Amino acid sequence: MSDLVIETSGLRKEFRSRRGVRIAVHDLDLAVPAGGVHGFLGPNGSGKTTTIRMLLGLAHATAGTMRLFGEPVPRRLPAVIDRIGAVVENPKFAPHFTGRQNLTLLARTIGASADRVEEAVATVGLTGRDGDRYKSYSLGMKQRLAIAATLLKRPALLILDEPTNGLDPAGIREIRDTIRQLGESGVTVLLSSHILAEVQQVCTSATIIGNGRLLASGRVEDLLGTSTAYRVGVPDPAAARAVLDGAGFTLRDGSDLLVETDRPAAVTEALGNAGVWLCELTPVRPDLETVFLELTAGDQLGGAA
Amino acid sequence: MRRLLGVELTRFRWRRAILVLLLLAIVVPAVIAASRIWATRPVSQADLDRATEMASSEIQQCLDHPRRYGVPRAAAQTQCETTIVGWYTGREPLSMAGERGGSGIGVVAVLTTLLLLAGTTFVGHDWNSGSMSNQLLFESRRGRVWAAKALAVTLVSLVLAALVSAVYWLTIWAAMQVRDLPTLDGALTDSMAYGLRGALFAAAAALGGYALTMLLRSTVATVGVLFGVSVAGGIVIAVVGLSGRWQPDLNIAAIVDNGTTYWVEVPESCFIGDRAEREPAPGSECDQRRDLSAWEGIGYYGVPLVATAGASVASFRRRDVP
Repeated sequence: MSDLVIETSGLRKEFRSRRGVRIAVHDLDLAVPAGGVHGFLGPNGSGKTTTIRMLLGLAHATAGTMRLFGEPVPRRLPAVIDRIGAVVENPKFAPHFTGRQNLTLLARTIGASADRVEEAVATVGLTGRDGDRYKSYSLGMKQRLAIAATLLKRPALLILDEPTNGLDPAGIREIRDTIRQLGESGVTVLLSSHILAEVQQVCTSATIIGNGRLLASGRVEDLLGTSTAYRVGVPDPAAARAVLDGAGFTLRDGSDLLVETDRPAAVTEALGNAGVWLCELTPVRPDLETVFLELTAGDQLGGAA
Repeated sequence: MRRLLGVELTRFRWRRAILVLLLLAIVVPAVIAASRIWATRPVSQADLDRATEMASSEIQQCLDHPRRYGVPRAAAQTQCETTIVGWYTGREPLSMAGERGGSGIGVVAVLTTLLLLAGTTFVGHDWNSGSMSNQLLFESRRGRVWAAKALAVTLVSLVLAALVSAVYWLTIWAAMQVRDLPTLDGALTDSMAYGLRGALFAAAAALGGYALTMLLRSTVATVGVLFGVSVAGGIVIAVVGLSGRWQPDLNIAAIVDNGTTYWVEVPESCFIGDRAEREPAPGSECDQRRDLSAWEGIGYYGVPLVATAGASVASFRRRDVP
């Protein structure tokens, strides 16, 4: 059996309308290994949600194959759905039912006990408000209820589409910690998010898509690369620039004085020898946001979310 | 499947809009029964005295000109008052057969309309709130989901309609017993069977409303389509001049009454010469009377119901769920 929890090959989704055919997902090959938290990134309309919806059987693929836990889906989805918790786009519950009633109906669908509902409510911090009608909930509470619903199954795979939308900073931190703990406990988490700093903090691997196509995939460290630059702070940047240029260092364009090197001591030495004294020498590592923006620079808002 | 059915029955029970519709399905027939019992109450001496007082001038006119009132002059003194007061106090006595042809069909119509709306509202809410996709994340076998919801709608509708019908006919029967009115042998059984057929029809309507809403994914769209079809259908039947065989109400009557009769136009030649003198053979060209069987009525409503249900299941299984 494959050690990939999610696997797609040549996955394609076309939407046909009177205005023609729009390709939301374009021959996407996605591979999510078992365990850990996997980021799923892409601009609005890049096809993330459509991909998730196809994996969960809510949308039909136009072409390609999908596997969850090695089982072909949607054909064998019923065999694995009990191991998958998912929040797709916005939380969707019956507005006139209480949070508890909504969870109870879902729990009964899978034969889960009332204790499981209690436990899930407590885990997401909704105790005391679970008897209120869903329509009276804030966006943050709705998100918590959606996450509680995913926990009813004790999932082996958790698919979360923007799970921290609408949460306050404390809530975001709680959810982030929960996701991290789940990832560490052996649950595979596919985290679709726009908050790149969040993804970088909790994800062990990531896939970046744009316009429905795969742009990059792998361990977060590998995506960030090893290239290291240093920000040089001096009283006279022009003089320092001339010194470093003369010493053969590669300098980056921009308002800051950035030098690409893996030998920061040599920078200090060159400037000191020229009588230019350092105020700052700070390593500048590329972050996920930079990588993401570089990869998706040509993308335009358009396809399905 | 049993678990899913339990979930859907609970969902049905927890919906307030559904409960209101189900409550109306109990209250309105109760009001109809009460009004029929009231409207057929025996004439009391007070009623007679009041009617005599109200009709005094008319009684006098009758006494002055009895032939205008179809009363022989010799009997005017006794018959004028009886005849004219009878007009003012004329009440049909309560009868099971009479109610089957009158208020009974009204009860079936009320149950059908309200349960159809209940079936529509039940699932329209799932689509409107988007919770259908959430449900499918817990049970991905769409055919089962469709069937469980359909079963819940049909079962609740059938049980409620059957109970309401049974109580309705028992109430009418009890009122007749209290008034010492004669009842034919098997009148209660016939009425109960009528009520059961009406309940089955109402449950089928609820299933149809559900299936159409699963197809159109909106309660408003379903109600709009049903309204449009009833209006357009009425216009088509009137313009094209289709016979009673195609009248919706006649087909309902055929189902709940276990067959009914309607009249058709016959060629003018049927009224000329020898043919006008003879009793036409049943079913012949000159026979104005036609029978419509319960099975024909079931076919009339069953075909669109099966077609809608089939399209609904196919659509639910194939289309993307928002």
